[in-house]
Amino acid sequence: MIGISVDSSPANKVFAEQNGFTFPLLSDFKRTVSKEYGILNEEYGFANRATFVIDTDGIIRHIDKDRDAIDPSGAHAACSLLEHKKS
Amino acid sequence: MLRRIQLAPTLFALALGCSAAAQAGPLSVGDKAPDFTLPDQHGNKVHLGDFLGNKNVVLAFYVLAFTGG
Repeated sequence: MIGISVDSSPANKVFAEQNGFTFPLLSDFKRTVSKEYGILNEEYGFANRATFVIDTDGIIRHIDKDRDAIDPSGAHAACSLLEHKKS
Repeated sequence: MLRRIQLAPTLFALALGCSAAAQAGPLSVGDKAPDFTLPDQHGNKVHLGDFLGNKNVVLAFYVLAFTGG
């Protein structure tokens, strides 16, 4: 699990501490990755909410965007499928 | 006297040569995930490629910190 936003690293540090997150929160301060993944909100300059599940070969296996990305069950199900494929 | 410079075919060829470059559309399932290196909350560089080969990755983009997003 990796989180990404356009926040600065210090802001992400406080955000992670306040919420007890132990996974990496990455800072896409320059918006390059958000743009590359096609989810940069050009008007306001931040990344829209989205979840991508990427397999061990680097292939995107599942995408949730906007409201769908609030509910993690889609990403969770995609991960379970990938785990089953491995075993 | 009768010699005329035939520009038209030349211009036409140039126009063909300037056809639009291929545009990258939004990512879809089955596409290769674009690689990246970004700093985490501790200032360590995290490279997506380092996870590949042994771990599936859930990449969660959130709107802004402190917004519940």
